[in-house]
Amino acid sequence: MSDLQSDIRKEAARLLSENSVDVVIGFENASVPLRPQPAFIKRAEDAEKLVFNGFCQNNLATFLNRYPKTTRIGLVARGCESRAAYALMVEHQHPRENLVLIGVSCAGILDWRKVEARAGENVLSAEEVNGEVKVRSRLGEFTFDRAELLHDSCARCVHPNPVNADIQLGETLPEGDKALARQPIAEFEVLSSTERYAFFTHEAERCIRCYACREACPMCYCAECFVDHTTPRWAESTVGSSGTHAWHLVRAFHQAGRCVSCGACERACPMDIKMTYLTDKLNDDMQSLYGFEVGLDDTSQPPFAAFSLDDKDRFVS
Amino acid sequence: MKQVQIEKNALPELIQRWAQSAQVVAPVKKESYTAFEVITSPEEIELERAHNTRYPLKALFLPQSEVLFRYHNGEYLPAEAQDSTRVIFGARPCDARALTLLDTVFEEEGSHDPYWKTRRAAASVVGIGCDQPCESCFCTTVGSGPFDRSGLDVLVTPVDGKYALEAVTEKGQTLLANLPELSASEQKQVEEIQQRAASQMKAAFDPAGVRDKLYAIFESEYWKQVQQSCLGCGVCTFLCPTCFCFDIVDETQRGERVRNWDTCMFSVYSLEASGHNPRPSRLERTRQRLMHKYAYWLDHIDQIGCTGCGRCVRYCPVGLDIREMIRRAQAWEEA
Repeated sequence: MSDLQSDIRKEAARLLSENSVDVVIGFENASVPLRPQPAFIKRAEDAEKLVFNGFCQNNLATFLNRYPKTTRIGLVARGCESRAAYALMVEHQHPRENLVLIGVSCAGILDWRKVEARAGENVLSAEEVNGEVKVRSRLGEFTFDRAELLHDSCARCVHPNPVNADIQLGETLPEGDKALARQPIAEFEVLSSTERYAFFTHEAERCIRCYACREACPMCYCAECFVDHTTPRWAESTVGSSGTHAWHLVRAFHQAGRCVSCGACERACPMDIKMTYLTDKLNDDMQSLYGFEVGLDDTSQPPFAAFSLDDKDRFVS
Repeated sequence: MKQVQIEKNALPELIQRWAQSAQVVAPVKKESYTAFEVITSPEEIELERAHNTRYPLKALFLPQSEVLFRYHNGEYLPAEAQDSTRVIFGARPCDARALTLLDTVFEEEGSHDPYWKTRRAAASVVGIGCDQPCESCFCTTVGSGPFDRSGLDVLVTPVDGKYALEAVTEKGQTLLANLPELSASEQKQVEEIQQRAASQMKAAFDPAGVRDKLYAIFESEYWKQVQQSCLGCGVCTFLCPTCFCFDIVDETQRGERVRNWDTCMFSVYSLEASGHNPRPSRLERTRQRLMHKYAYWLDHIDQIGCTGCGRCVRYCPVGLDIREMIRRAQAWEEA
């Protein structure tokens, strides 16, 4: 068991036994290997169930909206989870005083699809040991370098450390390389509009409109999503270019300056659809146009959500 | 029924033969997974995967979006009849069995669905048995097996360098005309392979009494616990070979009335025009999914509405495992 995992258990048990929180949101082992499940711990003695490893693939901040604002939540928060939590605080989704961020520096989420691609379709178990991942599958035993199994979003992560956590566990990691993070954006930008559209279409056309991307995303919390609205209908529900393109484009635009680049959408997608090339580009625009980066404090509003009477561009008059 | 054989390398020839009088649909590689597509050459077929196609076989008969009819300036335009003759090659028995369950819905006495029925009548399904069932598979638990013949016209068993082919129906016999028969000893070998695959599979749970238990705990805290991590997305139901719920919409800009897959996991699925939602939270929706598969199907046709393909287990974004949900239901005791 990693020290980090036992520290998380200890802190969760302490917070619960001191009655500082009502629930701790973390991960627990599930029946399927490589797929720990979000866990909601309410009693100190259950803190032993918590696990933490590279296969914890969800962004736990997506569960904050399940609770009334009065619920005191302890959130196991990696870099992206803490930033999502702050972005949600800015949007008044949960008050800072009722949130305890159990900060964990994150070496990146491991992509079970990459494990299967290397170790075979039937993986039986996997364990992380000193930067290596030991995998047992029906084909035998394998050892992989952790870096080669990182989920794409994590391989280009800029902020592995939790932002302003209440408790910091594990050692602080060096910040990621912004130039490296920008590479896929630059590669997309140099394409012609026809090529970009072809890329977009190739990805979007596999969409089965299950909305796993939406549900996995901490920033998608609308009580009624635009695609579910029926009077009027904003997008066709029929699977075809019209409705599916509308879904992917509007989803991305709603994330401009709000997306924390965690990649939970792509990890949730059952059809291996790439989506972060759009949201990362929009975030990059927010940086270059407005100098804004989401989730670094609990007051700065995303530019497209902010309104100021002194706005120098009076495009609405 | 009679069993015939071909050498593995003679498969393309057989496929070509079928292609002379039918469209051949088979698993092809797509991104990191396989998908059923109309093939133009046998070389496109991908049979090396232990995992099933990502998208279920049902989509070939109940497409995710189906135009029921079109309208233009007040004129009714019927949809094109989907009656092309198709040979679907490489289906897994779990997916084919699901078709027989769906037949009871779409070909129910007195309410035949013409779209389903036309496609079913025009298709032959050639299934490949699973000599290596996957970790997420549990077909034997739900009354099926890796070499289940239900829903198949031909069952293929891989044997060393050969394929043994068994015609299950008359349609299947036509597909296998003029192929050399299997010897008695080879037939025995085929049976052994089939039995070995089934015996390798562990029981995921005891299906007896599941329905009664689910009814007994309908109002219990169990559902509150089991649904906690559910995201409420449509992965499990859309990839499910037996889920068939749909919504009918008018795509007014194109003048089409379309039948689209829908799912009980979506809040909007049960939302009524008044604004009332009888399944207001994930709790009721999770319960509906489980109750439908493991109780209501049994009430209707005395069969579990799950064929154990394991897609929902593999692709759930939060690792929810229906086998574990059933085990927990069975072990549930009221406090």
